[in-house]
Amino acid sequence: MTRVTQQTARIVFFLSAAVSAMAAALVFGFLLVFGFPLIGGGEFFSLLARPWSPGQGLYGFLPMITGTAAISFLSIVFALPLSLGTVCFMGGLGPARISRLVDGFVRFMTGIPTVIYGFLGIFLLVPVVRTLFTSAGSGMCILSASLMLSLLVSPTMIIFFKDGFDSVDVRYIQAADALGADSVQRLIYVILPEAWPGIVTGIIMGLGRAMGDTLIALMIAGNAVHVPGSILDSARTLTSHIALVSASDYDSLAFKSIFACGLTLYVLNAFAVIAVRRLGRKRGPVR
Amino acid sequence: MDNPVKIRVENLTFSYHQTPVFEHINLDFNAHAITAITGPSGRGKSTFLSLLNRLWESQPFAKMEGKVWILLDGQWVDIYGKTLSKPDLRRKVGMVFQTPNPLPMSIYKNMAFPLKLTGMTEKALVDAKITAALRQAFLWDEVKDRLHDSAFGLSGGQQQRLCIARALVSQPEILLLDEPTSSLDAGAASVIEDLLVRLKERCTLIVVSHYLDQVSRIADTALKLEARGFLPV
Repeated sequence: MTRVTQQTARIVFFLSAAVSAMAAALVFGFLLVFGFPLIGGGEFFSLLARPWSPGQGLYGFLPMITGTAAISFLSIVFALPLSLGTVCFMGGLGPARISRLVDGFVRFMTGIPTVIYGFLGIFLLVPVVRTLFTSAGSGMCILSASLMLSLLVSPTMIIFFKDGFDSVDVRYIQAADALGADSVQRLIYVILPEAWPGIVTGIIMGLGRAMGDTLIALMIAGNAVHVPGSILDSARTLTSHIALVSASDYDSLAFKSIFACGLTLYVLNAFAVIAVRRLGRKRGPVR
Repeated sequence: MDNPVKIRVENLTFSYHQTPVFEHINLDFNAHAITAITGPSGRGKSTFLSLLNRLWESQPFAKMEGKVWILLDGQWVDIYGKTLSKPDLRRKVGMVFQTPNPLPMSIYKNMAFPLKLTGMTEKALVDAKITAALRQAFLWDEVKDRLHDSAFGLSGGQQQRLCIARALVSQPEILLLDEPTSSLDAGAASVIEDLLVRLKERCTLIVVSHYLDQVSRIADTALKLEARGFLPV
């Protein structure tokens, strides 16, 4: 490549990176500015700890914070073994032909609109949960939402995990094979440790998707505004809350509070990403 | 005096993407000898080695017919038969590659890796086996004080001797070496050549090499791979 094209490419890529970083910063700024009436009054932190009861002038979203945390965390708990298992199957445990089919299916799943998962949840999953657990009431609860959400985020996680698996140096795999490792040993001792950064990225992307998803929780978590006491309780997430309030309202204080709600979601997501990165930092093998 | 036969290749045909690479090969390899395989690039020298430890099987679109027998404890064993599992076969038939391929771990863990695969955990026994194999590979004195450092801190020649030692720790009866010195300088290569000659006591060695001077220095027998078959040199 000539110097000029190299230089141009560098500038173009720098600009793209700058624009996306700026977009994230702008969103944050936008939320800060619009949420200012609540934040400026020093009320922001009390909002985090208060219940939601507009009739009494209470606009706290502690219930939604716990709802989001519970549903997204639980969905990752369900999705992680499912995704890791699928990737291990594709990464050498399963026959090559079936692995290719599974791979195609997973990629197809990423394209299914969220509302379809929501529908499936209402008609298939919710009745099952209702029948199995009497205390789950209508069946619209944290458990139903996080189970469905785990199906939604798994393909994303699988794709990132698989990238991690594919990036493992083929010489390590060959060395392990030639030394007499069977396919499970190769996976545990060589591939998984090397693919670890990809696994961490996959968990972050999955968690981001789970926290940001609106429709599934809106459709099948029940949307009750109280701090849930068990996974069979109905709950409302921050995202569903924003959707519900902004759909019915425009100018009230309740409406203004949802900017603070968005800000909370933003910060919560950032914390989750940092936490997963810290937990996932590679400590073991010397290089 | 000729040594007894250790490996017998019988009517072996191998094709890749339906293009034949070898056709109807019959060959014997003598025990405790170095057999060198030479020939132009791209004729399948490395592929031939991979037929002897079944490493080719991970490649799609490859197909093999014929038989490979090895003599284990006085019995002829079909390596593609059911009596010997693939992991067991690969412990009996070790392999060293063109570029040294230590795993991303410490020297010690690299050496312990094949033992860990067999479930050997008793530390004293593991340590003894590791020490013995490192000595056999002329590496012990150079690494004994830094066993827990990364294997990537070693020089190219040391890494390759580590890979040989790692193969030796399973006490293989056959050692396949795919151009083991081609990525090394002359000094490092000559250490490895001496090592290979010494290893004849313990193993049967098959070495792919395209350096004819190397072949004449170390090999007891040399075969040249021509289109789809072997010729004696």
